[in-house]
Amino acid sequence: MAQSNFDRRRINGPEESFQPTFEDDDDETRWKPGNPRRGRGARDIRPIFLTAGLINQANGSAYIETEKTKIACAVYGPRQSKSTTYNEKGRLNVEVKFSPFSCTRRRVPIRDAEDRSVAVQIQQALVPAVRLELLPKSTIDIFITIIENDGIEGCIAAGSVAASAALADAGIEMLGLVASCSAAVVGKEIWLDPTEEEGKASSGTLILAGMPALGTITSVWQSGSMTPADGIKCMEACQERYTDIHAVIAQSLLENAQNNT
Amino acid sequence: MAATLLSKSERAYIQSSLKATPPLRADGRGLLDFRTVLLETGVAPLANGSARLNIGKMAREGGGGTEIVAAAKLEVEDVESGDGVDGGRVACSVTCSPAAYPHLSSNALDELQHDLSVILQQTIGHPSLHPRNLTIIPRKKSWLLNLDAVVLADAGNVVDALFMAARAALWDAKVPRTRAVQYRAPEALKSAKNDVPGAMDVDEGTSGFDTRDMARTAADFELPDYWDEGETLDGREKWPVCVTLNLLPPRHFLDATPAEEASVPQRLHLMFSFVPSAPPTLQAMRLLGSEELDLKDLKESIAFGEQYAKELFTALETKLREEDNRRNIKARDRFALMR
Repeated sequence: MAQSNFDRRRINGPEESFQPTFEDDDDETRWKPGNPRRGRGARDIRPIFLTAGLINQANGSAYIETEKTKIACAVYGPRQSKSTTYNEKGRLNVEVKFSPFSCTRRRVPIRDAEDRSVAVQIQQALVPAVRLELLPKSTIDIFITIIENDGIEGCIAAGSVAASAALADAGIEMLGLVASCSAAVVGKEIWLDPTEEEGKASSGTLILAGMPALGTITSVWQSGSMTPADGIKCMEACQERYTDIHAVIAQSLLENAQNNT
Repeated sequence: MAATLLSKSERAYIQSSLKATPPLRADGRGLLDFRTVLLETGVAPLANGSARLNIGKMAREGGGGTEIVAAAKLEVEDVESGDGVDGGRVACSVTCSPAAYPHLSSNALDELQHDLSVILQQTIGHPSLHPRNLTIIPRKKSWLLNLDAVVLADAGNVVDALFMAARAALWDAKVPRTRAVQYRAPEALKSAKNDVPGAMDVDEGTSGFDTRDMARTAADFELPDYWDEGETLDGREKWPVCVTLNLLPPRHFLDATPAEEASVPQRLHLMFSFVPSAPPTLQAMRLLGSEELDLKDLKESIAFGEQYAKELFTALETKLREEDNRRNIKARDRFALMR
């Protein structure tokens, strides 16, 4: 019997597989520390394409695309809680799934450890915003599928934005739309919305989520080495930027509502 | 972290006593007081470094408190054919003993374990803290540093305890000294050519099947001295300490008991690294809870957190040096006396 994980339900590929290396990875054109950012300004985020109402079967859904990151989100709820204990406040359950073809190295179709950490962060971003006290004994299920992943911080930020649009599409009452932005400290500069390459080159990253309409923050997730002053600068830059993202979410929800009537 | 079962009136009672003037806590501590922290290093002789930490042990009642055992173990990894990365890698994990959380189902326990592991891994395993002496043979063999922590009992403030225990175990860890070994094939005997009839025509050039060339560069390593404990892990001043601020606007407090943790809707975890020659850096920050926060309050909390972390760091440093002293220097003196 093969010692590797022999998955009987799928056609298994070779046990070991390696990503092909390409010849055009030229050393001269590769980014070096000290160089300015390639393709956009330091404080520019990637353009966002967001539509709501993608999945008809779900109560609410949204699809977000920011250059190479593509995420689909579906919201089912509020539905009856499976547990028999009485919950005064509703529960928000977030499940994230990375498609096997989403990253440069193939991910196993079985639920992974990284899936859960992304789900926890997105849940933390949304929980303060949803009015769960109006939904006792209920559960709201949010299913997020990551179709293509370019930078895990960007994924979490885009996932929170898509989930917030999907919740609004489902008609669930919230205190405000949640917008989220990520930042990275590269050398002495602060770059917003880092891609995977840029995230690897940075010394520290930060993801901020909050409600621009109320001016409050719902989740901060920072890792890596940065001075507290840099951290605060990152948060201020993210906060400025997610006000713009809020306008994008509102615009796409408005268009969706207009198309449906 | 674990949901203690509290009624709404208990929750309101704890909150109002914390907001009162002067603020009152169940065990009479001030808002910024930590419970007694007991630390011992070298508890796991088979590990390269280990520590046992207890916060809030009540001596008179013979037990209690949050108890964590952390151990750092080094394994050899192959860079080419295995999982190894050139330069070594760090893998952290946290196991929660079911005895510490008797009311949690095994799924919930798994999830809690996973969440704590992720927090530890993302902070300690971050490339900015990577120790530099984890290479054995460049591009061939490297060390895998496994940092495992076990939560034996939980009486609140597990995250702070985990980071303190991890720091102590990493401080205590010793990397065995290695020496690269290379093979050299014996000199080929020179045969007199063409003199002896029937002599073989030896091919002078190197053949593609000659494996002696491959083995000439360092391919293996050995441990020079069996009794040598090794050198300390590089970058031991950089390991972070964590301070958890439980936020109850306008107040905040440290070192919460389980009841206090369940009564307060928001928590901020701050991990700071204090290298003596450089300004303090923020290694990780996590905001958890079901309430929202203003940026202004967050900035203040970070500033306070830095102060508290500095005090915690200084106290931990002193204790670790004392432990070093106790185990190495005093033991050596005692041994010398016995001879």
